[in-house]
Amino acid sequence: MPEEIREDDAGAMGESYYLNMGPQHPSMHGVLRLKLRLLGEEIQDAEPVIGYAHRAHEKMAENRIWPMFLPNTSRVDYLSGMIYNLAYCQAIEKMLDIEVPERAQYIRVIVSELNRISSHLLWIATYVMDIGGVTPFLYLWDDREIILDIMDRVTGSRLTYCYGRFGGVTMDVDDLFCEQTSAFLDRLVGRMVEYDKLVRKNVIFIQRSKGVGVIDADTCRQYGVTGPSLRAAGVAYDVRRAEPYGIYDRFDFEVPTLTEGDCLARYDVRVREIEEASKIIRQALRDLPGGLVMPEKPKKKFKPSPGETYFAVESARGHFGMYLVSDGSETPFKIKLRTPSFSNLAAMPKVLRGTMVADTIAIVGSIDIVLPEIDR
Amino acid sequence: MSAVAPGLDGLLLTSAADDHNKTGFHHRHTCAAAELPAVARAFDAAGYYLEMLTAEDRRAELEKMRLVYTWNVLSNTPDRHLVQCDLEVGATAPSVVAVTAAADWMEREVYDMYGVRFDGHPDLKRILLPDDSDFHALLKDFGRIDGGGDAPVADDDGHAEET
Amino acid sequence: MPDTVVNLVDSPALGVLIGIAGVMAALTVNVLFLVWLERKVSAWIQRRMGPTEVGPFGMLQTIADMLKLISKQLITPRHVDKPLYHIAPVFVFVPVVAAASLFPFDEHVSLQNLDIGLVLVFAFGGLGIVGIFMAGWGSNNKYALLGAMRAVAQNISYEIPLILSTLSVVLMVNAMGDANTNGMNLAQVASMQHDKGFWFVLVQPVAAVIYFIAALAETNRAPFDIPEAESELVAGFHTEYSGMRFALFFFAEYSNMFIVAMVATVLFFGGWSGPLLPGAMWFFLKTYAIVFVMIWIRWTFPRLRFDQLMSFCWLVLIPLSILNLLVTAFIARAV
Repeated sequence: MPEEIREDDAGAMGESYYLNMGPQHPSMHGVLRLKLRLLGEEIQDAEPVIGYAHRAHEKMAENRIWPMFLPNTSRVDYLSGMIYNLAYCQAIEKMLDIEVPERAQYIRVIVSELNRISSHLLWIATYVMDIGGVTPFLYLWDDREIILDIMDRVTGSRLTYCYGRFGGVTMDVDDLFCEQTSAFLDRLVGRMVEYDKLVRKNVIFIQRSKGVGVIDADTCRQYGVTGPSLRAAGVAYDVRRAEPYGIYDRFDFEVPTLTEGDCLARYDVRVREIEEASKIIRQALRDLPGGLVMPEKPKKKFKPSPGETYFAVESARGHFGMYLVSDGSETPFKIKLRTPSFSNLAAMPKVLRGTMVADTIAIVGSIDIVLPEIDR
Repeated sequence: MSAVAPGLDGLLLTSAADDHNKTGFHHRHTCAAAELPAVARAFDAAGYYLEMLTAEDRRAELEKMRLVYTWNVLSNTPDRHLVQCDLEVGATAPSVVAVTAAADWMEREVYDMYGVRFDGHPDLKRILLPDDSDFHALLKDFGRIDGGGDAPVADDDGHAEET
Repeated sequence: MPDTVVNLVDSPALGVLIGIAGVMAALTVNVLFLVWLERKVSAWIQRRMGPTEVGPFGMLQTIADMLKLISKQLITPRHVDKPLYHIAPVFVFVPVVAAASLFPFDEHVSLQNLDIGLVLVFAFGGLGIVGIFMAGWGSNNKYALLGAMRAVAQNISYEIPLILSTLSVVLMVNAMGDANTNGMNLAQVASMQHDKGFWFVLVQPVAAVIYFIAALAETNRAPFDIPEAESELVAGFHTEYSGMRFALFFFAEYSNMFIVAMVATVLFFGGWSGPLLPGAMWFFLKTYAIVFVMIWIRWTFPRLRFDQLMSFCWLVLIPLSILNLLVTAFIARAV
């Protein structure tokens, strides 16, 4: 790959130099590469270089019939694969006007929110690791493992789920699933208190996070930053609330919002989102109706009428949009994945300017990027 | 003309309300390429953000490339505007990076995948594909597998069949 | 002084050779044990098992690791400055061995009982940083250079509170003893605590805390492990090192940790003094207790940022240690 080191820039600054961070670096999430221009340890310029995990999902979509894209979706973001998988199902259902049985709707909400919790737990673990705390990582991993086991029993996979179908879900859940889930939620309450003591009240953690990497609301709008980073900046935007999909309008939950916009606020927002997700799951478990999880006659081959459809969900990282274009044939004319991490990372050059190398890791970690999602 | 997003009057070729429940858009518009920055400024001034920017390879039917912008608001009353803009093949489009920074990477991606160039972009280079690649991956004449549409569908595991 | 190992044999040169061989052997075994201890303690803190397979409780695991490191090919990257790159691990390693040979392990067991023991320990401790900077500079790698620059700034800064805090103990010993007492002599500091019947940590708690914090920073231990912060600088100054050269850095790091713990034992916790058990046993028990606390801290706290680390040193630790020294001097004068 040709390297454009801008000699004129370096010459003008005199002492500044380039530091290439990634794509192989112990704390770069996935395969992100940052081209940093440094003056001492202060960052003058940061340029994220992406594309190392580009797998051409959008091209693949155009080369196969609509249902065959389904397994791809959870590979787009391997940390909240369930949400992406179900997003595609719901987008198709919207396009074709398919009715989904009640029970399947509730199951979808439960597994999506479990997936969100596991993604947020992983974020806390890696963020604390990024600023040097190794031990909380293993504790949080332990909790996440339980979710993976629960999901594994129901969906057959631990990470890259292909659980959704057009009109429902592949497999029904049983009583054991409900028991395990509520037992996990009970356990999580105590564990979150423990993490609050271990991580959130730690002086060094606060020093490293407070006031670091502030993204204000206007910057968010300029760059299209969504998700917890946006809510930490004081904008109460959540797709589950703004454009309720599935049956999210039936649940009582809050959209946690803070105003500081720094790494600490992003941490707090995610912790509260875990609580809200638990609340949603409890309500869904309580109201879970009986019945089928798939329609009587599921659609396997179909030709949607020509036109454009946009479907958005709130993934663990923000606004995930699917722009589907049909030309009336069995294959998609185009599927565009509007991924939140892409927009969130795009704001980084502005946020990183003037910070220290050590903060770079903390800030890039705090916006919770998943590289395969950015590169698609 | 739509009255929802102010300042769009006279900038659009067509404009219509759309059914959000059916398509996900509240409004759909088309505009000429020259008006793209003005449209972007109007949306930006009204507090909208550039949600998505992509392109479609419409050369087979229209002999045009189509740019697709969606603008939305970050609030609990969403208002998604779809703006389509047809370009002659090989023509450049004006960049909207000066209006909204989000367009920076999105325009690079469109250039990377479709070869559409944007005038006034500060650093238009490839973003996802390798810098030295000699193709634009999402053009319809690149890497098309013939007969993709006739590929067999594997049956479900039978679970759904029985119920 | 007949009570040192060097003086046990007739020829002083032979005595020194035996002593150095003994210290190196003891240090090596000690480092192997420390690494095992660190892995076991961290595993315990993180609810893991740690090494279990090799030997009882996995105690031989580190020996296997060391054999692996020794048998690895020495790789010299093409872009390094060869003389500096090759000599740097030695520069880091040698002062550690020298410093370790100065401690009174028991009332009558020490390799060298010098009147300037304390000064020498810190002098040797300060030398290691030269080797670290040679490694960072000679590696010709930006991460290594950044790590080395951080290490130099950090070590030079934290040496000031480190030495100031020990000076107050020296002052106190001199004031309490007679005309022949020398507070720089490690054996005398220990025996003074033994004779008086109390540990100096009781009368110098501020100095002890400052010393402990500064010692953590001096040995580049978390939360001050900024020169090798793996989430930022890959591995800091030893990024380009592998095999036995890397092992030497590793060896020096753990031995340094042990040395600062030994200094703390002698200055603040009464050295070999203690009931029932033999003196050397007490000495090592106390030292390992301090090392355990260092390990505990490492696996609990996140890492400070570089500028926070520096301002903590210059704005908190140094003024506090100067104040402590002044108060000690005032009291010592008055008594």
